[in-house]
Amino acid sequence: MLEVFGRRPYLMLLGLALALLVAPFLQLSDYVLHILTLFLIFGVFASGWNLTLGILGLKTLGHHAFFAIGAYISAIVAYYGGVSPWLTIWIGALVASAAGVLIGFPILRIRSMPHVAIVTLAFAEIVRLIFSNLKDITRGELGFWGIPPFEPITLGDTTLRFGIGNAIGSYALAAVIFLGVHLALLALLTSRTGLTFLAIRDSEAAAESLGIRLSVWKLVAFSVSAAVVGLSGGVYAHYMMILTPISVAGPEMLITLLAMIIVGGVGRFFGPLLGALLLTVLSELLREFGDFRMLLYGAVIIAFVFAAPQGLAGLKLPRLRDRSAAKRDRTA
Amino acid sequence: MLDLNNIDVHYGATQVLWDVSMRVGAGEIVSVMGPNGSGKSTVLKAAMGLKKATRGEVILDGEDLQGKSATLRPKRGMSIVLERRRLFPRMSVRENIQLGAFTRTHAEAARTMDWVLDILPDLQPHLNATAGKLSGGQQQMVAIARGLMADPRVLLMDEPFLGLSPIMVRTVSDIMRTINEKGVAILFNEQNAKLSFALSHRGYLLESGRVVLSGSGEEMLEHPEVKRVYLGQRAEGAA
Amino acid sequence: MSWLIEIILNGLITGSIYALVGSGIALVYGTTRVLNFAHGELIMIAGYLVLFFSVTLGWNVWLASFLTLVMVAGAGALLQRATIAPLLARDDWAFRVIAATIGLSIFLQSGAQLVWGEQFRTLPYFFNGVAVIGDVRMPWQRIAILVIALLIMAASALVLYRTPLGRMVRATAQDAEAALAVGIPSGLVHTAVFAISAVLAGAGAILLSPLVSVNPWMGVAYLLKGFAVVILGGLGSFGGAVAAGFLLGLIESFGVAFAPTEWRDVISFTFLIAVIWVRPNGLFAGRGA
Repeated sequence: MLEVFGRRPYLMLLGLALALLVAPFLQLSDYVLHILTLFLIFGVFASGWNLTLGILGLKTLGHHAFFAIGAYISAIVAYYGGVSPWLTIWIGALVASAAGVLIGFPILRIRSMPHVAIVTLAFAEIVRLIFSNLKDITRGELGFWGIPPFEPITLGDTTLRFGIGNAIGSYALAAVIFLGVHLALLALLTSRTGLTFLAIRDSEAAAESLGIRLSVWKLVAFSVSAAVVGLSGGVYAHYMMILTPISVAGPEMLITLLAMIIVGGVGRFFGPLLGALLLTVLSELLREFGDFRMLLYGAVIIAFVFAAPQGLAGLKLPRLRDRSAAKRDRTA
Repeated sequence: MLDLNNIDVHYGATQVLWDVSMRVGAGEIVSVMGPNGSGKSTVLKAAMGLKKATRGEVILDGEDLQGKSATLRPKRGMSIVLERRRLFPRMSVRENIQLGAFTRTHAEAARTMDWVLDILPDLQPHLNATAGKLSGGQQQMVAIARGLMADPRVLLMDEPFLGLSPIMVRTVSDIMRTINEKGVAILFNEQNAKLSFALSHRGYLLESGRVVLSGSGEEMLEHPEVKRVYLGQRAEGAA
Repeated sequence: MSWLIEIILNGLITGSIYALVGSGIALVYGTTRVLNFAHGELIMIAGYLVLFFSVTLGWNVWLASFLTLVMVAGAGALLQRATIAPLLARDDWAFRVIAATIGLSIFLQSGAQLVWGEQFRTLPYFFNGVAVIGDVRMPWQRIAILVIALLIMAASALVLYRTPLGRMVRATAQDAEAALAVGIPSGLVHTAVFAISAVLAGAGAILLSPLVSVNPWMGVAYLLKGFAVVILGGLGSFGGAVAAGFLLGLIESFGVAFAPTEWRDVISFTFLIAVIWVRPNGLFAGRGA
């Protein structure tokens, strides 16, 4: 538990909340807020994926499919149905969750890591191709544009507007979703459910012998994880207001998120957030060298797998433990 | 001939062998006896180089093999019959046996093959069968044959009787005596004390990864501690 | 009738490339338990090599192919030595290898993009003319793909089942520890297997290069198809992968006959997931090299 959540997870989350609250008052430019908004969206994505990848220990590689499903379903319902994005993002998350359960079924029957990796990757490819081929609805790779932003809300005499170009409102919305999702995930994962997931990760056989019904719990994890990722996709869609299948469900999305999680620390609760922040900022800094971005991500993944397989979060923990151990020695 | 000196072995952070020293003299049968999880198999794997010792020496005729590749052992006259046979299941019996002589020339292998089939004549009719389809007893024969193909001076046998019928147990122990009479030293492990020490010239008792007792086969069988704990007999003097 | 022959022939031709790529992945997985996500980049590297030798330098296509295969074998061996072997000793290596090879894959793709740009180039046909079988007209180049691929896979099977090296590979695949115990140097076997699988991928790339443009991403599509083939054939089975490769090729060519082309991959990956659902061990159970 300590390894996954750190010492005081709720305090950590509160700290994050305060930092997010202070940020807008620092006179940040719209551009910086835009980058932070992207970080918040990808942070939710990373945490959702980390639920199966790191916490349950199922090495799935197709979560960009759920991101795409959340994004496209929400966008389609809002665009064609005229439904408010405030509602459609939840529909998108729900459909993503259902898709998660759907792909969860064949995965339940297989225990070999390569099978899981390949099947989920193939699933993501199917999803990408479907959105790309349904040109009448999505306009394929030409891009689905004109996606409505969230409707503005009025608080007293200030009106918050959303969508790309409305930096402060979008940032606030992304921050609220980010904090809400992580609070919910933290509550879920520090409860019995989370313990069950960790038990399954450490040993499926042992967990099963304790009476844990593996298939049920894996499906639960899949549906929650897909829902979280789908929600982040919905928020992304109505923020960017344009989608292409290759950008949300293509290999670059997979690499980007994988890099974030590996840099942060697979299976750590806060690690992937750190990874998401670092890589979002870094890739924006490198924007003018567009071609280098994937080169860098590839190199970063390789470097961390070799040098720091536990990610940045894993680097910090031993030091903390040493210090507290030293403290114990002193008091003893 | 084969000396294990002060061997420590770890699995991850857990230490499983502590300062284990054993000796197998030329032409001896030596047994390692101990309960489940005492580290018997680990001793043999460490000797063979399949499990890296974290400390100590594995000396074969004066040469320290510790830290050197497992693939060097067969060339130096040491081979192993692994626990549960561990044949190459989709290869023929012949291929399995031939692979035992992997480090040797074809001429040497052919000569040894004749010698091995002399000791294990029952294998002759099965040479073209698929190894994985044989019975457990037959597979053990193949595994022993494969081990002998390196023409070893010392043969390690990891739980050679595991899962065999009583008749096969007798057959395999007879084979071990025969092999030994041909000048091959044997180091084997076995959980049953009687079987273990009746077959061996000398034996070691391993508990929780430490050698707690050693002596000749008869001495071990007569030792009150062995009698009490492992042979289910009460110590002398008690009613 | 002729349309049926054409569909089947096309399926077998595509399938032969899938079989080449898939059997290489299967060989590596069966022997070393490693899933190599950078396998597609071996295809890409071979594509650029053959382009360089035969177009840029203008050498004879057979010489160019031979040099390409030798060099890509070296690249496969280097890949195994430099990135995979060091990871195998650590815990949780299975996922680390997957992550590292994914990283390597994207690194090589972007690297190729930086070096060669986004230009898409093809080789001229190695074989000219068109074969006429009844009403079916098929370029010799396409038929050559099928024939050469079959020859290469037959040669690999011979190596695997009739040579000392093949025996070492099969022994390591069937029981790595027992193989080590009889003195088979498993590290060298692993490297050799990567080299062989790279040759299979490289052969696929050479055969494809007159039909498909050489570009930084040319391996991506074939990697996923190769993975599908490996799973369908029973993970790690060389023969199973070859059979599954042809099967997938046929499914695609029949699928495209009845549905728009852009749904081809949807059909094959849906087939993959359906098969996994029903038969988790693949279509051709019975494993291993």
